[in-house]
Amino acid sequence: MRNKPKLNQPINGIKTNMLWHRRLGLSTFVVLIFLAISGFALNHSPGLKLNQINLSTNWLLSWYGFEVPAAKGFEVRESWFYNDGNKRLLVDGNSIAPCTAPLSAVAQTANSVFALCADGLILLTADGEFVEQFRPIDGLPANTKTVATIANRVYLITDSATVEFNPESLALISVDIATLSETLVDSQLASAPLPKSLQKQLKEQASGPSISLETLILDLHSGRFFGQFGVLFIDLIGLLVCILSITGLMAWIKRR
Amino acid sequence: MLNKFYRVAVTIATAALFILTSAASFSVSAKGVFQSGPDFVAEVFAPLQAEPKVLWLTPEIRTQAAVIMDRPVRGLRIRYHQSNNKSAWILEEIGKEMPITIGVVVEDDVIQQVKILAYRESRGGEVRYPAYTAQYNGAALQEDYRLNQNIDGITGATLSVWAVNKVAALALYYHGVVNQSTATHPPQ
Repeated sequence: MRNKPKLNQPINGIKTNMLWHRRLGLSTFVVLIFLAISGFALNHSPGLKLNQINLSTNWLLSWYGFEVPAAKGFEVRESWFYNDGNKRLLVDGNSIAPCTAPLSAVAQTANSVFALCADGLILLTADGEFVEQFRPIDGLPANTKTVATIANRVYLITDSATVEFNPESLALISVDIATLSETLVDSQLASAPLPKSLQKQLKEQASGPSISLETLILDLHSGRFFGQFGVLFIDLIGLLVCILSITGLMAWIKRR
Repeated sequence: MLNKFYRVAVTIATAALFILTSAASFSVSAKGVFQSGPDFVAEVFAPLQAEPKVLWLTPEIRTQAAVIMDRPVRGLRIRYHQSNNKSAWILEEIGKEMPITIGVVVEDDVIQQVKILAYRESRGGEVRYPAYTAQYNGAALQEDYRLNQNIDGITGATLSVWAVNKVAALALYYHGVVNQSTATHPPQ
């Protein structure tokens, strides 16, 4: 009678062990297959060129914390002047001049258009043809905030001063701020959301923010895509895989 | 005793390596704006004051400039300063990713001075050293629109060296154009 439980113990032990082994296997197999496939993809990422595939869907960008505001531009003589978020000034979809973002202001006179970018003031003809760039190294005042025009005169407004700009000689002349400031503010062109066709074109050119497929797979593989919870979940899966190995090993030993 | 000596030697070697690495990285990453355009022009023509001029880029000039630069040249006009047969040009060319602003002084169709006014790349800044830029002094333009002098390159700064070579050739070409035609009027 005393030996009976001893005889049943290993059999029951194997059964319990296999039961948990099966449960763990069923609970983790989907995630394990995903981890195996994503790990394979990451291992061969250069060959598969995953880092060259960019994804820019709105939900993905907002999930990653990128703000995706409607692209804005300045409308001058029925043409839209805008920056592609990188280093080009575009007019109605055509790249016409170097322009580091942001494009902060656009102003026009009878013969010219002026676009103020982070790296300088772009001078254009009335038809939007690139004439030249007036850069800080050429004498553009530091911290130039905006450009405005009144009666065919061009003014550059900085944090502390307003100067008149001569587009022919590139000379700067100090002006009395008090008499001009209100008029200048009124005369500035306001930016507005681009027409839908241009917004669509910008998006197709993929020149805005994007996430590479490699980054996405890596974040899914590590669980970081779902934040701290995702990382803990992958940790748990790792732990379950360890237990799965141990229960599998124990079953194999006991069956021998 | 030997063990203690060994520890001290390792510590000193590590400290020396750290200091050397820091010094090397500092010298390589020394980028920035070294001189403004107006200051460069004032220095070049001092004590005289050079006349600011404009070269309007006709389609012919632009085509030739594109051949020299190996890329399309944008813009309708180029600023320069001139006094007698001496002209100063401030031009830009991208080294690897960022533009390098280069001042070139040409007198009697040969380069008198090349100076890096602004360098924005993280590597390759050695092109700004006078020991390198002095190689351009006396260089002229050949018939194939290349410099007639061999310019020794710098290891690790190949793209920056190419950029300076192209800008030097372009300045010589522009100097030749303005001294033949004095093209300071917009194209018709």
